[in-house]
This record gives sequence, C-alpha cells and structure tokens, in this order.
Amino acid sequence: MKDVYKRFGAVEVLRGVSFALNGGEVLGLVGDNGAGKSTLMKLITGVYSVDSGEIWFDGRLLSSPRQTHTPARARGFGIEMVYQDLALAKQQDVAANIFLGREPVRHLLGILPIVDRRAMEIRAKFILDELGIKVPQLRVPVAWLSGGQQQTIAIARALSFNPKLLILDEPTAALAVKETEHVLEVIRELRNRGIGIVLISHRLPDIFAVTDRILVLRQGKVAADLVTKDTSMAEVVAHIVGAEPLRKGGLA
Amino acid sequence: MATVSKTLGLVGTGIRRESLLVLLVLAAAMAILAPNFLSLGNLINVLLATAVIGVLAIGVTFVLTGGGLDLSVGSVMAVAGVAMGVAYQSGLPWPLALSTGLAFGAFLGWCNAAVIVRSGVPPFIVTLGMLSVARGLALLLSDGRPIYGLSQEILFLGQGRVLGIPTPVWIFLLTTILGQFLISRTRFGYHTLALGDNETAARVVGIAIEALKARLYTLAGVMAALGGILFAARVNAADPTAGIGYELLAITAAVIGGTNLFGGRGTVVGTFIGALIMGVLQNGLNLMAVQPFYQQIAIGAVLVLAVWLDRMQSRNQT
Amino acid sequence: MRTFLAITALVALFSAGLAMAQGRTVGVVLKTLANPFWGAMREGIEEGGKSVGLTLIIQAVPSEQDVEPQLNTCLNLLQRNVNALVVAAINATNLLPCIREANRRNIPVVDLDANLDPAILQREGLGVVFSISSDNRRAGGQAAEYLVQKKGNNFRGKVLIIEGLAGNPTSAARRDGFRERLTQLAPQASIVASLPGDWDRLKAANITNDVLQRHPDLAAIYAANDTMALGAVEALFAAGKGGQVVVIGTDGNADAVRSIRAGRLTASVAQLPYLVGFQALENLAKVLQGQTVPSRIIVPTLVIDREILEQGRDPLLKYLR
Repeated sequence: MKDVYKRFGAVEVLRGVSFALNGGEVLGLVGDNGAGKSTLMKLITGVYSVDSGEIWFDGRLLSSPRQTHTPARARGFGIEMVYQDLALAKQQDVAANIFLGREPVRHLLGILPIVDRRAMEIRAKFILDELGIKVPQLRVPVAWLSGGQQQTIAIARALSFNPKLLILDEPTAALAVKETEHVLEVIRELRNRGIGIVLISHRLPDIFAVTDRILVLRQGKVAADLVTKDTSMAEVVAHIVGAEPLRKGGLA
Repeated sequence: MATVSKTLGLVGTGIRRESLLVLLVLAAAMAILAPNFLSLGNLINVLLATAVIGVLAIGVTFVLTGGGLDLSVGSVMAVAGVAMGVAYQSGLPWPLALSTGLAFGAFLGWCNAAVIVRSGVPPFIVTLGMLSVARGLALLLSDGRPIYGLSQEILFLGQGRVLGIPTPVWIFLLTTILGQFLISRTRFGYHTLALGDNETAARVVGIAIEALKARLYTLAGVMAALGGILFAARVNAADPTAGIGYELLAITAAVIGGTNLFGGRGTVVGTFIGALIMGVLQNGLNLMAVQPFYQQIAIGAVLVLAVWLDRMQSRNQT
Repeated sequence: MRTFLAITALVALFSAGLAMAQGRTVGVVLKTLANPFWGAMREGIEEGGKSVGLTLIIQAVPSEQDVEPQLNTCLNLLQRNVNALVVAAINATNLLPCIREANRRNIPVVDLDANLDPAILQREGLGVVFSISSDNRRAGGQAAEYLVQKKGNNFRGKVLIIEGLAGNPTSAARRDGFRERLTQLAPQASIVASLPGDWDRLKAANITNDVLQRHPDLAAIYAANDTMALGAVEALFAAGKGGQVVVIGTDGNADAVRSIRAGRLTASVAQLPYLVGFQALENLAKVLQGQTVPSRIIVPTLVIDREILEQGRDPLLKYLR
C-alpha cells in the first residue's frame, strides 16, 4: 500500500511546502505555533483548498487550484484525521462514538430502520481488540474513561474507515506517561499495518520515539526534512527556532 | 417484557433510576398524607392533569437533548389552539381544523430553527422572541377572546374516554412511547444526542447539522400544537392566553426526568417520569388542601433536588 | 391474626364511611387568593359555612391565567366526594367538564360570582342550582349615578372609561352599565375614550396620561376596578391634576378605602364579596335541606366616598372588608 504526495505551495501561510510520505511510514510534523502545521493538514483533509501547487495521493490528484477538495472527498481517498480535542461526544458510549454519524442500521419488522446496537457493539469491540485497547465496559459514557483511553477511542473511530493515511494532532499533549506509551504503541501497530501516519506534536521525546522522519515547518516553509535516526533533538529544536543547525556530534 | 423494554431502549440507557425513585417515594408519601391519593380515579386524574404539559415536555426534550432551547412552546401551544378554533369556525371540517393547528405549530417551530441556523442568534433569544410573536398572533387571530363552540369530535380529544381512560391520557402515553422509540433507537435520536453533546464533533463526522436542528424545532412546534389542541379540547375553548408559563414547566419536567439542559443526554420516558413527579406533587398537595403558592415552591425545590441528585450520582461513578 | 386485621380494617372503613355521611362537605374552587376581593370572599365563605354547619374544602389557583389547573383542582375535589360544589370559574367554559361530572353524580353546583354563561350551560345540558354575585351592570350604573349626583344633570364634561380585560364579561357589564346610565342621566356628557386597562394599575396610569394629553380638561374617570382606578389617581396627581378630576373605581377593596379616606380616590362602587360568600353558603345550606332558592341571587353594591365612610351610618358598611 503506497501513499505518495508531493510538492505544493500555498499563499502566505504555507510557502512552497513540499514533502512526501509513504505507507507504513510515520512522519513527525513539528514547528512552533503559527508555523503552518494545522493549515497544512487542513489542506490534506479538504477543509481548505490549495492556492497554488498540487497534492497527490495514491497516484491521483488530491488538491490543486483546478481540483477542489472537500472533507468528504478526503474520506473517500482514505484520509482520516484525529483532532486535538478528539471530537468525541463525551456523554455517549464507546460504540456510539466510534460509529458517530454512521450508526449501523437494521430494519425492524422489515421496514422500520433502527440502529443496530448489537452489531455496533460487536464491531466496536473488534476494532478495539485489534488495536490492543482494553476498555472495561463499552456501555459507559466516554467521559468516564481516562484521557489515554479517550484518545484511543478517537483513533479507533478514524480507523473504522480503513484509512490509508492517518493524521494525529497532538495526541499525547494531555496524557500521563503510561497513557502516552500506550498511544505510541498503537501508532507503531498501525505503522506495521502499512498505514501512513502524520504525527503533529510539541513533545519531541514522543516524536523521536515513534517517527521515521521529521518535517520541521517554520513560518510557512519547510525548514528541514530529516530522517529521525540521523538527527538529534537539539538539531530539530534549532530548526524550529531558526538558529544555526548543529550537526549531530558536531560543534557550532 | 424484556423485548418490550429492549425495543423501547430502556435497557442500559440513560433512563435515570433516580427519577423513578423520586417518583415512587413521592407517590408513597402522598399515599400516606393525602386522602384518596391511591384511588384509581385519582391516579387517572393525575395523568390527565399532566397530559398537556407532558406532551409539550416531550417536544422540548428533543430540542434540549440536541443542545438547543425552546422558550416559545407555551405561546405556540396557544396560537395553534387558536388557529384550530378559527379554522373550525370558518367552516373547515374538524379534521382539517386539527391539521391546521398542527401545521401552525410545525411552521412556527421551523421558523425558530431557520432563524437560529441562519442568523447565529442564540436559541434563547430567538425562541424568546417567538414567545412574544406567537402570543401576539394568538391574541390577534382570536381578537383577544376565547373561541368557544368547537366540534364534538375535537372536544372528544380532551373530554372523551376510551376504555374508561380519558383520551388525553392515551395521547400522552402514545406520544411517550413513540417519542422514546425515536430518541433511543433511531439514527435521528443518536444524531440528536451527538449534536447536543458536541456540535463540532457532529459536524466533523458529517451529520447534517442544520437539517437536524430544523427537524428538532419543528417537532417541538408540533408537540406544542398537540398540547394546545388537547388544552382547548379540555377547557372547551381555544384560549389565546393559554399556556402562559407552560414552557418553563415543560423544561422543568424534562430536566427533572434526566434531560441535560446543555444537551447530549435525554430520554422521553425520563421526561414522562419528570412530568409525573410534578403532577403527583400538585395533585397530592391539592388533595391535602395546601395553598397553591406552596405548590410552586415545592416544584422549584424538587427541580433543584432532582438535578443535584443526578450530579452526585455521576460524580460517584467517575 | 389475619382475620383480626381484616375485621379491624372493616370497622375502620365503616366508621370512616359513617363519619363522612354525617358531616356535609362542600368543595369550593376560587380563582386566586392574590386579590383582596377573593380574600374577602373567602372570609365570607368560611364564616357562612360555619354559620350553617357545613365543612368546607377551599382551594384556589396561583393566578387568573391558570385555566387548566383550576379544572384539575375541581376534578380533584369531586374525587374527595364532596356533597356540593361552589365554583368561581376563571372563564365561562373551563370548568364545564367538572360541572358535567358533578351533574352526573347529582352534586349541586353553585356559580359563585356569576362567571358561567347560562346560554352555554343550557347548550351543554348542564345545570347549576343558583348563581350569586353583585350585578356588574348595576354597579356601573351606580357609578354614573354618583357622578351625576356630584356634577349635576347638566354635566357636559369629558369622561374616560377604563375597562378591564378586553372581552371579559364583568368588564363589559360594568362599562355598559356606566355608559347606559350616564347617557340617561346626563346626555350632554361626552365619553372621550373607553380603553382596556387589563385590570392593571400601570396600564391604567399610562392610559390616563395619554388621554390627559389629548384632553387636558378631562372631568371624570370611571374604572372597572379599583386597581386601575388607583393607577389613574397616581397618574393624575403626578400630572398635577390631583383633586381636579373625579375618579370612581369598582370593588371597594381595602386599598381603595384607604385612598378615599386620604382624599385621593373620589369614590368606589364597593362590591361586598364577604356578603356574596356568606350568602352563597347560606343559600346552599337551604338547597341541601331541600328548599328552593331563586336561580339568580343578586347581592347589592354600595357606592362609598369620603363622606359616606366618615359618617359610617350605612348598614351595608359592615360588610366592607
């Protein structure tokens, strides 16, 4: 399974950004606030349109000035995003959240469409088990679960669409150490399945723990496109901030 | 029985056991303190007295669960009843008169939604405005006086009995059953819960927010109209001053029954129980010949108590 | 053990039943106690009940809008197996289902303060044993008589009528009675406006101000109740016209009496709700004993002004509450 996209440039917020990602790769996207990370992602998910340049996905044109792009289209291409605030309905239960908006339906007496609760729960359980997520009870409101569990539910929802590309926005920002590790485990599992992942995070230790490559954005431009194991945290920070990059093991 | 409660969506849902408990305790207290409370005739009276507000409350439950608010149901109730009365008096046959009333309610409900969605003005303000507009319309259409002389068939809805049980009670029960089914078993219900719980999330997962809101407010309008028709049938006249204050009572019933005022949680059976709690309170205090002013104080106290109980319970479980 | 309990229960029930059969209970449904008029009526009812040996269950509703709760209350009273029902209906039709049930059970119904419409009752095939109230039309007429008495038959001044709630029969009767009598006695007087004040003090004050603007030489104001009359009085004094305009109210409640004694309100056509309540129970007792009473009982109204109050000689004054 291959995900490929290339160069594009956008006015003002993003200026001539180009990069590529393959399936089964985890790309860390870092940069200071206002560097353009979320705009970049919104271009991919179809919330915004590209002003100039092109985005290609899986060999097809995703977005360009000639090709309008919408969230529904992004979903059709197999692109899913998990937002920083998770977009979970906190008072609804786990299964309801995973299938939010597209609850499976069966027909009562052959004609009346009602939500097929049992099927929903079975499928939800299946998805969670596959990810190795343990949730004590499915019928509880997700607000009763820990932050880490909620994060994984949100990821599970994205996964239920069988995406080829998954974008995670600050997934560990509010989590404790143990929960963070849990989420990183899930990310690794997904990579092994061949899904392309973009991980947006301020937490460099997490980036270094799980990504294959790192893309640093600064002021709308690509400041650096690095291979994770060939670089260091100090170097990445330098790129984020704009100081002279220090080579690994070298001196200023 | 199990299949019935499963179909109604009672199993494992948010039907608060606390509301049921409060109702039973209250009923027990009334049975001891109030003469004649437990007689069949009296219990039927309680359901009858609660029917109009109950029907309104069911409509309001949907709006509240979806994260909205509708302060106009009392006024819409009045103008729908008046519309029905005027339609009947101008010569329309009674089924058309009834439909006119219901259509009026649906239309005003839809107007609420249209303004809320298009203008971005908060539902509180929009429906507050409709509260005045609808009331004015009711007074205008009726020339300020009650409209007497409704047809026998229409009056049957309010004063008739089927199998010994008053028609409004049947209508209340039926509305409860259908409403509960709608909110807990259909996609419409699930989406409503999602909308009220987290509108952004609902939008992000592709739920058609504006259409959903339109349906919710229209439903509330139709329920208000139904309530208005039942009211007019009960008191023999379509009264433009009907329903003053009923919107607050309807919201109170919904909240006592477990509907989250801010959205994301609500059941119709819960609202039914909430309305009954208020009805039992009023009926019991009536039988004990307690001054009506105390009744109002009591209802306010029960409301706060019920929500407090609910918060304590959810805090224990987190 | 079980037999013992069963017997005790039976005995208890039997004696309770006996007790209920001996005392006679009357259920009373009033409008709202928030109005002193009804407070006085209640007093009269209570004392009347006491004087004829009837037990009373008196209920009211929080406001005059509570049409449905009043119906519910009425039905509840029937549940309590009262021997008679006295009702002061909020409007002409809201209690019909209750009256129908009472008729069905042969429980006599009294129309307190004549809120029911005989035509409607007849059409519905329902009956009340009698209807008792002041005569509102007569009351309006008395106000006109008082005005003419003060100003003379050649009175050609401007008069404002402040009505009650639009469409309300009590208000209409008072207004019509006043108008009719005034035209009879002082045909040259002119009624410059007749506007609904909704029984509301503030609204009446606003109406008075507005009419004063157009007719600064306004000579008299008749208001269909005291609350509105007092509102008009406030407006007049605020405009510096206090004492120059004759203001006559209706009801004769405590506020009005105070205002008259203080020289602000000129006069009021006092209803005697205490007497209405008292006589209602007296007549009901007669009915329960099998006697007949007239189907429409009128309780007189009394015009009170400062002079009459200070002299204190009128026999009806003692019923003023």
